[in-house]
Amino acid sequence: MSAMKIALVLAVALLALVSVAEAGVSFKSLNSSRTLTVQAKIQATNVTSGQAHVGTDHLVISWALNSSFDGTGKDARYVNVKIKLCYAPVSQTDRGWRKTKDDLEKDKTCSKGITQQKYVSTGNTTTWRITKDVPGAVYFVRVYAVDAVGTELAFGQTTDKTKTTNLIEIVPISGRHVSIDIAAAVFSVFSVGSLMGFLSLEAIKQRKANSKAGHFFRAAFTDIIRGHSVLREIKIIKSKC
Amino acid sequence: MAPQGENQTDADLTGEPGSSLHGVTGHEVFPFINMETVAEEPTDLKGRKFSLPVDSEHKAKKLKIYSFARPHMLTFHLSWISFMTCFFSTFAAPPLLPIIRENLNLTKKDIANAGIASVSGSIISRLLMGTICDLFGPRYGCAILLMATAPAVFCMSIVSSVDGFILVRFFISFALATFVSCQFWMSSMFNGQIVGLANGLAAGWGNAGGGITQLVMPLVYDLIAKGIGAESFTAWRLAFFLPGCMHIVMGLIVLAIGQDLPDGNYSSLKRSGDKVNDTFFKVLQYGVTNYRTWIFTITYGYCLGVELTVDNIIAQYFYDRFDINLKIAGTIGSTVGLMNIISRPAGGIISDMAARRFGMRGRLWSLWILQTIGGVLCIGLGLLGNLGPSVVVLVIFSTFMEAACGATFGIIPFISRRSLGVISGAVGAGGNAGSILTQVLFFQSSKYSTEKGIMLMGVMAIACTAVLFLVYFPQWGGMLCPPSKATEEDYYGGEWNEAERAKNLHRNSIKFAENSRTERGPSRQSQNSDSSPPTKV
Repeated sequence: MSAMKIALVLAVALLALVSVAEAGVSFKSLNSSRTLTVQAKIQATNVTSGQAHVGTDHLVISWALNSSFDGTGKDARYVNVKIKLCYAPVSQTDRGWRKTKDDLEKDKTCSKGITQQKYVSTGNTTTWRITKDVPGAVYFVRVYAVDAVGTELAFGQTTDKTKTTNLIEIVPISGRHVSIDIAAAVFSVFSVGSLMGFLSLEAIKQRKANSKAGHFFRAAFTDIIRGHSVLREIKIIKSKC
Repeated sequence: MAPQGENQTDADLTGEPGSSLHGVTGHEVFPFINMETVAEEPTDLKGRKFSLPVDSEHKAKKLKIYSFARPHMLTFHLSWISFMTCFFSTFAAPPLLPIIRENLNLTKKDIANAGIASVSGSIISRLLMGTICDLFGPRYGCAILLMATAPAVFCMSIVSSVDGFILVRFFISFALATFVSCQFWMSSMFNGQIVGLANGLAAGWGNAGGGITQLVMPLVYDLIAKGIGAESFTAWRLAFFLPGCMHIVMGLIVLAIGQDLPDGNYSSLKRSGDKVNDTFFKVLQYGVTNYRTWIFTITYGYCLGVELTVDNIIAQYFYDRFDINLKIAGTIGSTVGLMNIISRPAGGIISDMAARRFGMRGRLWSLWILQTIGGVLCIGLGLLGNLGPSVVVLVIFSTFMEAACGATFGIIPFISRRSLGVISGAVGAGGNAGSILTQVLFFQSSKYSTEKGIMLMGVMAIACTAVLFLVYFPQWGGMLCPPSKATEEDYYGGEWNEAERAKNLHRNSIKFAENSRTERGPSRQSQNSDSSPPTKV
């Protein structure tokens, strides 16, 4: 049975995939390593929280090693930093695809990557134009310090532990264009219009055929009646003879 | 009209006045007098020979899949492609949901409501489509539905709010009523012995549209987003022009080259008197008062209903319970839809094979067995906790459930001849109602976990399938009871009252009754060996 074969192949493939996946770094383990200070400003207004518009506004993100960790050697293994845009809890409610999970491999909080930079203890700044595929939501910025293979070692974020302060609301594009609206209207009108046209054409043809048939039947009936009356007359004459 | 042999009487031979006019006009003028003789080669209204062997109603007795010959095979292909187009557009949104939910800021509840909306619109439209098919013909029904729902598909490109999204999915789902016109059309074109296969193939290949869309829409989106370089929030909107245009193209093709019956369209057949002009209330009355309609509405609610529910919840179930990639979960979901290509026709074939050996009783038993096994496997799916076995059980379970759907429509054409459309519509709507009921009972609130919900769905499926034991055809029997002395003519003729029978309005039902004698099973075929249609003057 080919259905069984397909099922078995699928099952083997899935089991293989599952065995390859590994657990990522636990976020809780990084709690003691909040060694970076991060600040994000909306360029136009120079404030750290408020509304930013997709496509036009820029975020200026600056990060550095927290001065209290200077010289402690905590940053010895930091190679790069990953800067990410993360959802605030208010934008995560009722949306399982943005869920925060402790396993960073499965965590969906910071799904939008902004950029990656080389780590220097004095820090760096980046200006990022908010791309048009960013959905409308409330965000904060988080920076992970990673080693050469990309494993997270430390982090810093623009907001506090409860993720309620310094949040940036990003206003998205709708994706609609006037040309799409017009095209949709034109196609819809064409669909309904050609349907009505077809149906009326068929109705007209029917009416013509019905009237032709009507004439035809009427003529045929009068023929029959005439024919029958002639027959009857001949029978009467025959019977009389 | 079939070419009419002439009943030559003595009067004609002696040259009575008027006799020489026979055949002069070339067009027979007595539509209300049914002078039928068995012609040597059955021909359609235009006198052309049918390319497939046909019965006395000119329904085909064979199915040639690679042929596009008019009228039977062409109708088959038009029918399944139209239905596939509608399934494609109804389920075009789910694979693009990761993008749509970000664009419209949807929550999980919004998505669930949109999912329920996407199977509720078709309840109303399937009921209406049944009566439209009975009164105006499946060609009009199918084409009008395709072209009237195209604007709804185009509206998906311009939604910008949650309510708009839910409304549009609701209106697009009206298109799923093409299922009724598809099954009705197949039952009008194909003889009872292969109607299970024809219905199963057409519906199965149509249902597969739900699986095809899960693979095609993401591809189209990628093409637009990367090929043209459109923004993601614009690309998904443009992608919806594909299903919209498919609607328009198929609608025009069906209108241009489709045909209601092997002998022509309803309008021309009504004019020539071969199709009886029926009334809405009569058709509705005989559909609604037949208790078998409601039994099959319930059982179909728990075979198609289960399939639709699984389509909606299974990707999320695998994603959440087994923590696999969303794309892989989506691919698993699409296989459930794609299995329809084989499993639904298989159900139809099993029904037809059972009928050949045991008659209608075989059809009823095969449906009960297929659906009950499906229910048992559903319970198993809910109880399993491992990924691999779950996938295997899912595939086998969906095969059995979809085969049960195919087997159901091997029986539906025999419940009524007069109200076939109304019954097909009611049963089809029942499928959707079953899905909504199941989703609301077991999957909407957090009372049950998803796996417990799946298990309870299986239990309910087994319970609802048991009502099949109540079905009884006087001329063929039921699952437990043998047939009585009644004949097929009594059963189908009984749908017309005395006055209608006096006017011979029931002649098509009588023809159907003769052809349906095969449902007696081989042991009783030799009884009542009237093989030629009676001549009525």
